[in-house]
Amino acid sequence: MKKVLGLALGILAAIGGFVDIGELVFNVQAGASFRYSLLWAVVLGVIAIIVFAEMSGRVAAVSGRPVFDVVRMRMGLNVGLVTLAASLLINLITLAAEVGGAALVLQLLLNFKVGTMILLAAIALVLIVYFVPFDGIERIFGYMGCALLIFLVAAIHLKPDWHQVARGLVPSWSGSWLYAYFAVGVIGSAIAPYEVYFYSSGAIEDRWTVKDLNFNRVNVTLGFVLGGILSAALIIVSAEVFAPLHVSPGYLGTTALGAEQAYGAIGLLLALLGMLFAVGGAAVECAFSGAYSLAQFAGWEWGKYRRKRDAPRFTLTWMIFFALAFVIVESGVDPVQLTEYAVIFSAVALPLTYLPVLLIARDPTYMGEHVNGIVGNVLGWTFFVILLGVSLAAIPLMVITHGGAS
Amino acid sequence: MSDFPDLMDLAYRILDDQLVDVDGRRCGRADDIEFEGGLGDPPRLYAIISGSGSWHRRFPRRLRGIGARVFGNGVSGADVIRVPWNQIDEIGAVLKLKAKARELGLGQGDYREGVRVAHWPKS
Repeated sequence: MKKVLGLALGILAAIGGFVDIGELVFNVQAGASFRYSLLWAVVLGVIAIIVFAEMSGRVAAVSGRPVFDVVRMRMGLNVGLVTLAASLLINLITLAAEVGGAALVLQLLLNFKVGTMILLAAIALVLIVYFVPFDGIERIFGYMGCALLIFLVAAIHLKPDWHQVARGLVPSWSGSWLYAYFAVGVIGSAIAPYEVYFYSSGAIEDRWTVKDLNFNRVNVTLGFVLGGILSAALIIVSAEVFAPLHVSPGYLGTTALGAEQAYGAIGLLLALLGMLFAVGGAAVECAFSGAYSLAQFAGWEWGKYRRKRDAPRFTLTWMIFFALAFVIVESGVDPVQLTEYAVIFSAVALPLTYLPVLLIARDPTYMGEHVNGIVGNVLGWTFFVILLGVSLAAIPLMVITHGGAS
Repeated sequence: MSDFPDLMDLAYRILDDQLVDVDGRRCGRADDIEFEGGLGDPPRLYAIISGSGSWHRRFPRRLRGIGARVFGNGVSGADVIRVPWNQIDEIGAVLKLKAKARELGLGQGDYREGVRVAHWPKS
């Protein structure tokens, strides 16, 4: 019973935690520009993150190794260092985007100057992470992030043409570079790699063993599928509200107006609160994920449950991450712009961390009988090829479309 | 994978692995492996080298100079620690050591920062 409750709570937190600024930017713009026709990209991205997270969780439970441990073991020192540097940089850009996003939402809620709100968001996040025990953090952000479900309710309330919605689930090609760019963006924001690093490190901290493998499977599948439905709802709401008006929601606040259209002020408030906690929670995961990566690669002591004095360099790393992110957003870079860079570059670097996890997951030396089966291997390699394609296409598409502007 | 279950590949299995001391504290990685014995002698596994100061030797030749400047050029006892092979207790998900990290000179960075962080509230 306790386990079922734990699972339910975990899934609730996963729904709130799945959507971050990547979806709030890319999915909403994709819906406004291409209506439902990019829904398949959400499906593809969700399956990809399920495959990646399931393998990472299984590798962690069976071999006792988190993602950056595996990167170091399988890619060697040189490629490993390149992977680490790329991941840390992407983590930082993502964190800056999330902190900036939180500040924008706070500004809409409280109506102060944005510079002040960035400071408030950064300080509040650091204080929460520093003083609140980790389980509490996960719940505050995960549960409150569920306010985003207003978008799901709104998507149904707005009575979309379900026939068209279903057609959007089938991959299609509209022939434009912009379409391809948004496909990469929607896929890339579904597979936020920091979520996977965070998940696998958490599995080590919670001392998972082979007994937790079923939990791992159910947790990633349900959590990410439900999160994916919410992220599809963002596309639908945007397709219903913004596409007919030819509005391109380049400003984060516009996103919340989709919920207002359906439910008025209450809808707007819920949407903004959900966005605030979703990006806040993502910021926390992102900062930790950076600290995990660096500590694991270098062999330092790490852990969110450890006393700060026992894992001091880990603690300093996440603090420095917040400080740098603060400086970046305070310098005036647009969080939406940062998000686009973060999502596109994380799609570029993804194969570098995906491949070593796949290699260990199919290696009987480490995994024994829990090695990938035929289905695991076929899925694992298929998605490696897909992710490699997305990775290679990402930057050229960004250049050709001027970052989605044309 | 080795064809012989009681044999283990050094580079595949041990190089780059996590070191954990007798108290369960993570304290570095197996950044290099050292053999003893000169030319003509049988080589014997001698020590695990840990510390970023050893990294530049594994870099591509052109990058070694800058690597040494960024990650340290291998000052023994400072950015490179030699852990005698006989101090390895067990090879599992990690390399478990027989002694405390500090006795072997490992985990100095965490120790140094830990003293500082210990003054903070709720640390």
